Amino acid sequence: MTRLEATRAICAVAADAAIIASLGHPAYDLFAADDRPRNFYTWGSMGLASSIGLGLALARPDLRVFVLDGDGSLLMNLGSLATIGLLHPPNLFVIVMDNEEYATTGGQPTPTAYGADLDAAARAMRVAATTARTVPELTAAVARPGSLVVVAKVTESAPTAKPPLDYVGIRDRFMTALGEVRG
Amino acid sequence: MTIRESRVPAWAAAVCDGVHAAGSRDVVYVPDNPLSHVLRDVRARLPDVRLVLATREEEAFGIAAGLFLGGKRPTVMLQSSGLGNSLNALTSLLIPYRIPVLLVVSMRGDLGEWNPAQVPMGRAVRSILEAIEIPHVTVESPETTSEVVRVAGLRAFDSRLPAACLLPRRLTTGA
Repeated sequence: MTRLEATRAICAVAADAAIIASLGHPAYDLFAADDRPRNFYTWGSMGLASSIGLGLALARPDLRVFVLDGDGSLLMNLGSLATIGLLHPPNLFVIVMDNEEYATTGGQPTPTAYGADLDAAARAMRVAATTARTVPELTAAVARPGSLVVVAKVTESAPTAKPPLDYVGIRDRFMTALGEVRG
Repeated sequence: MTIRESRVPAWAAAVCDGVHAAGSRDVVYVPDNPLSHVLRDVRARLPDVRLVLATREEEAFGIAAGLFLGGKRPTVMLQSSGLGNSLNALTSLLIPYRIPVLLVVSMRGDLGEWNPAQVPMGRAVRSILEAIEIPHVTVESPETTSEVVRVAGLRAFDSRLPAACLLPRRLTTGA
């Protein structure tokens, strides 16, 4: 499964869910797969996608929130797993696109290439977790109740498109789609 | 006098009142000794305020950003030492995306500090905030605390940018 295929699979089941994408390739693939108004593309703040998703899930319990994280990104903010384990909002789904490399910066291997196990890390922090290696496994995994971490073992898909650099435009489109921009 | 009034310092109760008056009902925090009084008073007196514990200040700002995207007016409470942990979140998420957060910063390293390891960051806090163009105001007395916190919060939420309210040790510890 390539990361783009995994991203398309999430978009196919997302319906009216919000999707928060980590910077770099996960955001590029989400833009290429389906540039939905309910997508929030980060262009910085590496590591914080799952935290943004957690805050949104707490603010909007009526909304399913998918986070498209990276293995390198989640490793930068492992404490987020402890906080998710503490609060466990049932509407939060963190999909870790684990390609075992820092693909956006040139393909340097991450610790997951040498056995670091983010599925086990999530469970150790009291977050339900599973690993998916195929599109059907991924689709089945995110049908479970949250909070949930799904480690999607993916291969690199060499993105060719990027979302706009209009940060406030990204924010406004997203919040408008969620009904949060008033007057 | 109630038990609460005898145990919660006036400045701490006033911080709670100011946060509430600014319309914030979500406080993400990393613990700190002076802030413990504020957090205790929130729990005792403001049941409509949600407290969210973060493991690190950078994470706290990520959670706060998500709360704002979901329609809330978030406050982040942190010790000044945690500002260093927060800079990438502030400069590459909150500021460029214009996501407002009220920062309530318990100062270390200023007058009355006992731990020299806290001094370099304490001295640099205002310069750092100015360098990244986050407005800041320092609370000078318990009597003005509530109003200063409220105005700092409104500055953030009205401008859709972070704004900081600094609580010096002479306020929080009587140094």
